[in-house]
Amino acid sequence: MSTWGVLGLQNSNSPLMEQLIFFHDHSMVILIMITILVGYLMSTLFFNKLINRYLLEGQLLEVIWTVLPAVTLIFIALPSLRLLYLLDEVGSPSLTLKTIGHQWYWSYEYSDFQDVEFDSYMVPTNDLPLDGFRLLDVDNRVVLPYNTQVRLLVTAADVIHSWTVPTLGVKVDGVPGRLNQTSFFMSRPGLFYGQCSEICGANHSFMPIVLESVNMNTFINWINSQ
Amino acid sequence: MASRLLSLTSRQAQKLQKCMSSSVSKTGAREVVGYGFNGQHNYADRVDFPMPAVRFLENTPDILALREKEKGDWKKLSLEEKKALYRASFCQTFSEMKAPTGQWKSVVGLTLMISSLSLWIYMAMKTFVYKPLPETFSEERVQAQLQRMIDIRVDPIEGLTSKYDYENNRWK
Repeated sequence: MSTWGVLGLQNSNSPLMEQLIFFHDHSMVILIMITILVGYLMSTLFFNKLINRYLLEGQLLEVIWTVLPAVTLIFIALPSLRLLYLLDEVGSPSLTLKTIGHQWYWSYEYSDFQDVEFDSYMVPTNDLPLDGFRLLDVDNRVVLPYNTQVRLLVTAADVIHSWTVPTLGVKVDGVPGRLNQTSFFMSRPGLFYGQCSEICGANHSFMPIVLESVNMNTFINWINSQ
Repeated sequence: MASRLLSLTSRQAQKLQKCMSSSVSKTGAREVVGYGFNGQHNYADRVDFPMPAVRFLENTPDILALREKEKGDWKKLSLEEKKALYRASFCQTFSEMKAPTGQWKSVVGLTLMISSLSLWIYMAMKTFVYKPLPETFSEERVQAQLQRMIDIRVDPIEGLTSKYDYENNRWK
């Protein structure tokens, strides 16, 4: 989950999110270098006292400052495209989770074994226990096993919502009348939080998502008890 | 009667036109000495165009006499005469053009004054306008939430709980 005063990405819980973090770091290095270079150029211009009123062109310079950015863009584009296609790969998931967005709560269905369905509402701030996370905790969490490929089907019942868990690198819009499919893989157990990411009305900020990642036995016991 | 009114108004219109016409020169009686910075007969002190189109002051008999003297040996000119010749043709010297204006002090001063005003406004808003923070911000609850974050292993790779020593139950 997000911790206080942190600007960067959350630690990943999925190999794909790990790759996204690496790509982000790689692009950030390039961007910082470009920014320092341009900042330095601008500051030297500031203190430069030379004037050439009739300066029109400089062919060699112009070729250099066109080719170098193109080369830089190649360095960004190749990892980006690799990751783009990697994210689209289909893995043969073992489990399917169906998510339906409503105004203003999520409902989940597990129909692989028995038909398990439940709603997940945010816990109001006044009802939180002492260690509750404001605007993040819910009454019924989404329990899923880790080290398992899970298929996710997202839709919505009324307006567009968006289901996201940043630590998994998952964000999928739930559009009424449409099923959007993606899959994810959790690497470790714990609680993972997300918030609705498409404006959907008055309580758009108050319909969070909580994933409870557990080992397979715990998951099987849980689903049998529903 | 109507034709007289018409001729009156047309004369007024002509006068107005002449006043507004751009062909009326503001150069006055100043001598034109070159092209200047854009071909117009205006005077401007510019570092990148050091020779304006017109002299700065109109010619007086004294200056014309000095100009005749200038055509001879310059060593015969006194410093005062050289200065008078310069100031007749130019308004400022290069040192005067390039001299610092001290405008930065006004800019910095005004910026700091407005910034402090905005800080005052923020403090007033915090004191009189905003609601108090939610209960979850109390020290006790923040500590409880932090302990819960440690328990559920939030960001164990490079983030929060990567800095916690679980074997000895304390921060590293």
